Amino acid sequence: MPTLMINGVEIVTPGPMSILEAARGAGIEIPHYCYHPGLSVVGQCRMCQVEVEKMPKLATACNTAAAEGMVVSTNSSRVEKARRAVLEFYLLNHPLDCAVCDRGGECPLQDYTLKYGPGESRSVEPKVQRAKHKVLGPHVVFDAERCILCTRCVRFCHEVPKTGELGVFSRGERSEINLFPGKLLDNAYSGNVIDLCPVGALTSRQYRFQSRPWDLVRQIESVCPLCSNGCNVVLDVRNRQQRDELLRIRPRENPAVNRWWMCDEGRFGFGYLYAAERLRVAYGREEGGQVPVAVDELTGRVADTVRRIVQAHGEGAIGCVVSSRHTNEELFLVRRFFLDILRTPHLDYRVRPVQSEETDASEDGILRRTDKTPNSRGARDLAILPGQDGLDVKGMIAAAQAGRLKALFVFEEDLVRELPDLPVREALSRLDLLVTSSLVPNETTALAHVVLPALATAEKDGSLTNFQGRIQKIRRALAPPGACRSLAEILQDVARRLGWDLGDIEPERVWAAIGEQSGPYRGIGWKEWRAIGPQGLLPEELRAASREPRPERHES
Amino acid sequence: MSFEKVLTRYQDIPGYTGTLDAYEAQGGYQALRKALKEMQPAEIIEAVKRSGLRGRGGAGFPCGVKWGFIPKDSPKPVYLVVNGDESEPGTFKDRMLIEEEPHQILEGIVLASYAIGCHQAFLYCRGEFVRGARMLRRALDEAYAKGYIGRRILGSGFDLEVVLHRGAGAYICGEETGLLESLEGKRGQPRPKPPFPAISGLYRCPTVVNNVETLSNIPHILLRGPEWYAGIGPAKSTGPRLFSVSGHVERPGNYELPMSVTLRQLIFEHAGGIRGGRRLKAVIPGGSSSPVLTEQHLDVGMDFDSLAAAGSMGGSGAVIVMDDTTCMVRVGEIVSRFYHHESCGQCTQCREGTAWLHKTLRRIEHGQGREADLDLLLDMCDNMKGKTICVLSDAAAMPIESYLEHFRDEFERHVRERACPFGEGSGD
Repeated sequence: MPTLMINGVEIVTPGPMSILEAARGAGIEIPHYCYHPGLSVVGQCRMCQVEVEKMPKLATACNTAAAEGMVVSTNSSRVEKARRAVLEFYLLNHPLDCAVCDRGGECPLQDYTLKYGPGESRSVEPKVQRAKHKVLGPHVVFDAERCILCTRCVRFCHEVPKTGELGVFSRGERSEINLFPGKLLDNAYSGNVIDLCPVGALTSRQYRFQSRPWDLVRQIESVCPLCSNGCNVVLDVRNRQQRDELLRIRPRENPAVNRWWMCDEGRFGFGYLYAAERLRVAYGREEGGQVPVAVDELTGRVADTVRRIVQAHGEGAIGCVVSSRHTNEELFLVRRFFLDILRTPHLDYRVRPVQSEETDASEDGILRRTDKTPNSRGARDLAILPGQDGLDVKGMIAAAQAGRLKALFVFEEDLVRELPDLPVREALSRLDLLVTSSLVPNETTALAHVVLPALATAEKDGSLTNFQGRIQKIRRALAPPGACRSLAEILQDVARRLGWDLGDIEPERVWAAIGEQSGPYRGIGWKEWRAIGPQGLLPEELRAASREPRPERHES
Repeated sequence: MSFEKVLTRYQDIPGYTGTLDAYEAQGGYQALRKALKEMQPAEIIEAVKRSGLRGRGGAGFPCGVKWGFIPKDSPKPVYLVVNGDESEPGTFKDRMLIEEEPHQILEGIVLASYAIGCHQAFLYCRGEFVRGARMLRRALDEAYAKGYIGRRILGSGFDLEVVLHRGAGAYICGEETGLLESLEGKRGQPRPKPPFPAISGLYRCPTVVNNVETLSNIPHILLRGPEWYAGIGPAKSTGPRLFSVSGHVERPGNYELPMSVTLRQLIFEHAGGIRGGRRLKAVIPGGSSSPVLTEQHLDVGMDFDSLAAAGSMGGSGAVIVMDDTTCMVRVGEIVSRFYHHESCGQCTQCREGTAWLHKTLRRIEHGQGREADLDLLLDMCDNMKGKTICVLSDAAAMPIESYLEHFRDEFERHVRERACPFGEGSGD
């Protein structure tokens, strides 16, 4: 655990590490380009040079071990001159593209030049010209003039997806990063090079020319909903033509979940939020087919039908299939509505084999997982499962077909498509009441008496539990289109019409009730939920923390 | 001065072909026989240390000391890598040894391998040495056939394989860690040091990298004794050295001499003086990376320390002589063009600096220089020195600094007169 001084500040390192890592841990910035904590160290860019007492030459902080008793300066005049020179060397051939470059405004080359670089150019030589806006793959476009040859992208492709599409070719001033012959930059994680590139050499085709960072009105921390890994993300929203639009998704660092990366599907695949087919109003089945109906009217119809069915056939004639796309708070309220208050035992979330057989596993050895819903673990932890003598999903289909189940609520699952081996269409057609919610119309909603437009993950607050059991918060970044309302509001509406009350339905307040139930979330009340930070929380960590003696503060 | 040649003794044998038979006839491989029979590896290392032999590739590091850095009890294999990638402008002595006396090198390789515990040695030969590679291949085949290389050499328990590998045309592959990267099949990009090759070299195993001429000395040290060797030349720069003399001299060529020879003696007594009786203007004493010397330095001894004290370096022993028809700005343009072409491109200062240096000098030589360019060049050089993974950046910068130091008025004339005062094709 070497102790060293950096700029007069004493730093105790927790273990062997470089000077750069020790400084980062202590909040001291040492500018750098080629270094990245998730990649191999090469020490090429020469930006991170520091002065170390007793070393005659400047040392690169990224690959010099922090040693006991070292005295380091990151801002001596020698360091400042060397650092200014490195930036000057970069700027010799770097094109003055800022006005048209997507990186402008969030560019480490701009930032370091302003802080540490020369104010004017001393060069009168023509700049080297190279290929510009060259498409490398489905998601990434390359500008060879802007490239500063930090090689982060090359190392990333070799070391993380291990596809190695990129290399450095030629040498010296003629060095250029390019695809190996016959290759495209099309691995499942290609978008990460956009984050890694310190300049605008590698940029997003999707985001190209869409915005400046200062025009983004909201940068919301949330979680990707496309599989059970729950990669931490930031949603970048811009207001254009009086409408808020999600323009870009980027990963957030979380050492336990996704480190620094996310897959391309999650990063670029948010077009579904704006799909033309997206349901914006609710539909009810009438004589001529499904027609738009106000939600208030529909909740009334639902309540009436439920009352009628319970009276005629009992609570056991009603079932609910709720998707593990929902938040923990929504799932909890669904369980309260159906199991606790309506008192039917037929409730389940396990639609796919990966859920019913609990075979969720890594799909590619990196981040993607085989369960493509984000909250199966939350559903399990909250016991969104059949009650005493209750039916699972398959059982409910069979019961519907046999005429024993009269009403089924299907929230955000297209059962017709997910269960092709079962007579789903037939079964659902026999129901007296089929209530569905969905983002888009599908073969299941086509059979329904009530179709409710659902909210997407980006349009609500709440939490999701990833496959590790980590509770992670999502935050609303966008207003939903049209008349979409939260499931919690709709259930509360139906409940009230039936003379019941679901209690507080605000996501935070729901945890007051969750924390009191037995199960993995016992003890996590709304105070604890509120304290969950951007890296999420494993319930064990909370219990361990409450057992640890707290450090005492002695005021003198 | 008359000096009994050691490395180029063969040149006195009329019709010498460099075959194994010819090499043996003049005493070749006797050192190997003696060492394998009578000496332990540790003794050989001691002998080389006592001889005072310093590396002949350019750095001048004590050879025996470098061998001593190899860990004695490493579980990893130890490698010897022979640097035959002679590329320093002005240097052509390794080429001569490779083409004309390859067995001397091979004998040195086997002795060095035995000393450090290496059982697989790699001989990296510059790609452009087509004839040289052929000669080495022939010599290796002969040596294998005779049992000087291979299993149980000369009936001893010592096994050695020697792999010949040809380079692909990059100066930076003569940098020891650039060479190792190239040998491993990667781009020839130097590695940060530490760790040094003796600890982590070829395939991250303990490795000694030695120059071709350095290894050629080993058989002689062991056969005639380190004390004899240490008696040749100055105490801290012992043994014979091959000086490649080129430029405006009557007799350019390789000269084997002790390092007690002075620059004056080398140029005027051995190489016949300046061509056409003209006047000496400048001398590059140790390859293009070395700072230039002038008339005032002619009495400097050609040993490592004297040359360093004079503000230059022994380097590769390549002596480039320039007379008074030479434009020093043009020299700067030519020298900087080389480094611009050869930078590997890893480090920002070298990748961009070698290019900027060259473009600026070219502009000045063609009459488009500005006042500010001269101090700009000096600042560029300062920013390029001591801050990169390898010293190519320093090698590009130091000579230019020296041309500005000794010939600033010439640069200023170019700027003032907006033309090269020596005219087109000066110094050819």
